[in-house]
Amino acid sequence: MDISTIVGLLLGLVFIVGGILSSGELKAYIDIPSLIITLGGTIASTLASFPMEDFLKTFKVIKKAFSYEEISPDEVIQEIISLANVARKEGLLSLEEYAEKLEDEFLQKGIMLVVDGTDPELVRNIMETELVFLEERHAEGQSIFETMATYAPAFGMIGTLIGLINMLRQLDDPSSIGPNMSVALVTTFYGSMLANVIFLPLAQKLKIRSKSEILVKELMVEGLLSIQAGENPRIIEEKLKTFIPPEMRKDYRKQVEKEGV
Amino acid sequence: MIKVKRLNGKEFVVNSDLILYVEETPDTVITLTTGQKIVVAETVDEIIDKVVDFKSKPIMYIRKMEGKEV
Repeated sequence: MDISTIVGLLLGLVFIVGGILSSGELKAYIDIPSLIITLGGTIASTLASFPMEDFLKTFKVIKKAFSYEEISPDEVIQEIISLANVARKEGLLSLEEYAEKLEDEFLQKGIMLVVDGTDPELVRNIMETELVFLEERHAEGQSIFETMATYAPAFGMIGTLIGLINMLRQLDDPSSIGPNMSVALVTTFYGSMLANVIFLPLAQKLKIRSKSEILVKELMVEGLLSIQAGENPRIIEEKLKTFIPPEMRKDYRKQVEKEGV
Repeated sequence: MIKVKRLNGKEFVVNSDLILYVEETPDTVITLTTGQKIVVAETVDEIIDKVVDFKSKPIMYIRKMEGKEV
């Protein structure tokens, strides 16, 4: 569960509503036709911009922004070091049975390649190609939200234009200009709010998630190739630690040894 | 050139002149001067034997041609 997404979205709403309440009333900001124009229009245009399957995937992608099982680089490094220890003691072939217990499919696939005696160059090639396409798939999910964020303010504008046109058509009473204008502007408000409070933050969150997932996977590739080259677990540890920021680096060897005892 | 086996049992041939070093990690890893690493099923001693066999072949041919005993 990702708390920052939920807290961020809620706080955004709370601050906006709070700001409204402190200097006016909420009723003036609620206008169903405006909501239909912005939200409906945004969804319709997004539907028109993407193939059906991609659009339906949005719901899955939304779920990903809220609940996300973070694979921390720490755990992966530890796992790779224990695998390296096994490889050093019992040989690469013994990794096969350990691989079956692993949850991460990417790492498992890599170990299977190593155990099969695949050329290191080829292993790197296969794993990196997989990463490239993973990144591409992630970018697709992000682009849906980015598209929504571009359409929402535009539809806000359109709604305001509709409101103004309707108002100007029956401009008999000068005193009604003010209230009518304010209703018309509510649409622009909705558009900007949807874009900046919901769509852009979600897109950004997905981007960061994707980045950290790819970092972890790159770490796995490097670790696997080091295991295959028969490097010392301690060297592998040092090598993999360079991937993560200094404050997250621990002495994994001690930890592994402790667990071994 | 020496014949070696990958871990999955597939046989292939390595240019023994390019071997930089052979390590037991405990799987045997051959590092070539090109920087390439090859993991093979043979032990280090087996590889040394294979290289020695390969290198001694020309001498054997010469001795045979001269009609001498090998």
